[in-house]
Amino acid sequence: MATSTSSSSSQPYRPYHHLKTLNAHQRAVSCVKFSNDGTLLASASLDKTLIIWSSTTFSLLHRLIGHSDGVSDLAWSSDSHYICSASDDRTLRIWDARASTGGDCVKTLRGHSDIVFCVNFNPQSNYIVSGSFDETVRVWEVKTGKCLHVINAHTMPVTSVHFNRDGSLIVSGSHDGSCKIWDTSTGTCLKVLIDDKLPAVSFAKFSPNGKFILVATLNDSLLWNYSTGKFLKIYTSHVNRVYCITSTFSVTNGKYIVGGSEDNCVYLWDLQQKTMVQKLEGHSDTVISVTCHPTENKIASAALDGDRTIRVWVQDP
Amino acid sequence: MNASIIDPLQGDFPEVIEEYLEYGVMKCIAFNRRGTLLAAGCSDGNCIIWDFETRGIAKELRDKDCAAAITSVCWSKYGHRILVSAADKSLTLWDVMSGKRITRTVLQQTPLQARLHPGSSTPTICLACPLSCAPMIVDLITGTTTVLPVLIPETCSELAPSSRNKLSDGAPSYSPTAACFNKYGDLVYVGNSKGEILIIDYKRIQVYAVVPISGGAVVKNMVFSRNGQYILTNSNDRTIRIYENLLPSKDEIRTLDSISENINDLEGVEKLRAVGSKSLTLFREFQDSITKIHWKAPCFSGDGEWVVGGSASKGEHKIYIWDRAGHLVKILEGPKEALIDLAWHPVHPIVVSVSLAGIIYIWAKDYTENWSTFAPDFKELEENEEYVEREDEFDLNPETDKIKESDVNEDEEVDIVTVEKDAAFSDSDMSQEELCFLPAIPCPDEPEQPEKCLESFSKPVDTNNSGSPLSEEAGLNGHLENHVLSPLEDDAGGTYVKRKRKPSEKGLELQAEKVRRPLKANGSNLQESECRNTGDPEPGRCRRTDGRKWRCSHNALPNQRHCERHLPKPRFHQLDENV
Repeated sequence: MATSTSSSSSQPYRPYHHLKTLNAHQRAVSCVKFSNDGTLLASASLDKTLIIWSSTTFSLLHRLIGHSDGVSDLAWSSDSHYICSASDDRTLRIWDARASTGGDCVKTLRGHSDIVFCVNFNPQSNYIVSGSFDETVRVWEVKTGKCLHVINAHTMPVTSVHFNRDGSLIVSGSHDGSCKIWDTSTGTCLKVLIDDKLPAVSFAKFSPNGKFILVATLNDSLLWNYSTGKFLKIYTSHVNRVYCITSTFSVTNGKYIVGGSEDNCVYLWDLQQKTMVQKLEGHSDTVISVTCHPTENKIASAALDGDRTIRVWVQDP
Repeated sequence: MNASIIDPLQGDFPEVIEEYLEYGVMKCIAFNRRGTLLAAGCSDGNCIIWDFETRGIAKELRDKDCAAAITSVCWSKYGHRILVSAADKSLTLWDVMSGKRITRTVLQQTPLQARLHPGSSTPTICLACPLSCAPMIVDLITGTTTVLPVLIPETCSELAPSSRNKLSDGAPSYSPTAACFNKYGDLVYVGNSKGEILIIDYKRIQVYAVVPISGGAVVKNMVFSRNGQYILTNSNDRTIRIYENLLPSKDEIRTLDSISENINDLEGVEKLRAVGSKSLTLFREFQDSITKIHWKAPCFSGDGEWVVGGSASKGEHKIYIWDRAGHLVKILEGPKEALIDLAWHPVHPIVVSVSLAGIIYIWAKDYTENWSTFAPDFKELEENEEYVEREDEFDLNPETDKIKESDVNEDEEVDIVTVEKDAAFSDSDMSQEELCFLPAIPCPDEPEQPEKCLESFSKPVDTNNSGSPLSEEAGLNGHLENHVLSPLEDDAGGTYVKRKRKPSEKGLELQAEKVRRPLKANGSNLQESECRNTGDPEPGRCRRTDGRKWRCSHNALPNQRHCERHLPKPRFHQLDENV
């Protein structure tokens, strides 16, 4: 099932294998994310609902209903109590995810004038940043739901937004090919990372220590050092022509970059060597979203309409 | 974290009032160690914790036993506890995360200032400076107090005896003295009414050194800088003095002992003075020689580079900022409300001041957008430079262009997990968990019913589908926001930004409902035509205009169309007698 090329790290690479398939959405799954404490897994779908699963038993805990159109993205708060979802109905909703009281929509954030595509909490979880097809990035206050900044960030839909480790910076990527860094408190632009019109930036994310940015464009994924403005690593050999596929860092057992692909596989690259170490097959449609468990060696991946499932992969013991 | 991409700033000090916070009447403020939370003590005995990033209230510490004004607030080292001293002679220790009271002690006198021991994360000892007594160490759990010696008698070498009683009977009444812990809490520095600084080991109640201040005026405040290298004294002779701390940051007592042993030829007070001269040296003096202002609440900036002092003379609200070299760099002038407390943010160039009216003003740098960030391949020049082009720059096929810019070693190891230690917090013990933030709990929305009217008028905007929907929606939203905020702003003084924080959600709910109802009525108007004449997009706002783009932004009186100023008034006809 998996072909692996050995990396030159001290331990031999232990391949991941498929553990479980979760089938509960009626339409394409757009996003999966593990909670920050690792106990829950949330998934968002174009069938207008979100589902919260237990990450140990993979049983369905809650189904969050309330959006009037498909959901494109979701984010967990740092204490894993709240989930924020971004939907095509132009709103964001904050849901209570706790097992006892969970399932209710606590707040609805309105203000965008087009599809909201991406969302993220800051590490302190008092701000939410969202990017939308109306080409703006908005910073919201969690407690009151007030929109603090409306940043006219790009000239085409904003595809991803992410806070850095201390919440002072926001990185935003867009179809117009640029990737920009903004200051959270003032909403001003601090740096423009890429300025070319092509290729479109489909995903941007800070590294865990906030020093690097992982940018995925419609050709390949690059790791940038944003203070010098130069990219350090390129990860290729996957297929990414159309969709905004998320990637993530896997740091629990060796440093890897995990990403989806339009050839229905999950790719794992060694961070330093840039070589592909494993290709996880099993989905029957584009793998749009991947997430890594914060402490265990577990990966969850979600696929589009042809597949509609979430697959969980664990590493061989 | 973002220091590498932000331009180095010209002067790292605040310039304008950015915002103000209002909730009750606040009397004193204190930042936590990282500056993410601001604790404020109010005149009704409550303590409010503001989330400084969102400028919203994070927690309220209410005590039904205490209804007197708070005189001082102090955080513990890692932000888990807060000590509050009040005018009813009590000291209350709170646990921040849970918002529960841990213990309460009542003293014999009102403590003007109380400071928690800075050494541990769950301190039980605090230093209290009462109104008319010598400073004392209070053990909060047992309630015992230990009075510290304040005066060194000139004649004898005996030190003032320590007393376990709260009062020193028969002793002359002291004017308020100032005291503070040093950085790790091993020593207490006391400034007395004779103008001397005493270095005391509070565990053994022993005075180690005496440093006389020139002029001998009563010491009103004493503050250490964050790194413990400098100490600031504010004296009655209207001068702020900075002393450099010569003792090492750890093992001060041993150093003091060894210095004391080395000075064998002096006795008593002379010896103490000699030791004192080896522990502190005068570094700078600040005063305003023209107006001779009494300084209020002086303190250091977070990195110790700047010294700030407040002036409340004649009811003014002025903040003076000096650099460490002694130059006055800025005077910030606020509204006509006397200043009562001042604090500098531990990390950012932000100053927070409290006025007599109980409002907190936040002073920050006036930021300007850096437009060069939008053009990453342009280089910003300080001044005009003569550009010397390369030999082959304008050739049709320059050789150097072909060489690809690959000076980055792609095989280099990249570290994505190690976090750089923040230099400003060099002494933070990583094993201790610091309380930086209180969790933000979203306030639940009101029930679903008003949402229908929003949906009904957003539909026509949708169908337009051109570049304008964004601005139209933003415009409508902007009007909504203006309307919600405008009834709350009732002062016309316009030198500072009006952004009041109404913390009660009930108030917000009521406002939101008030806005939604008139919009429901006008929703149909907006659907029919874009013409503004038929419906007023902002009912409740005065209708006075200049015929062009300006419209009066005050609120119309109830049942009227204009504000008080623009009400059509009857005018008296003057009988024209001259014709």
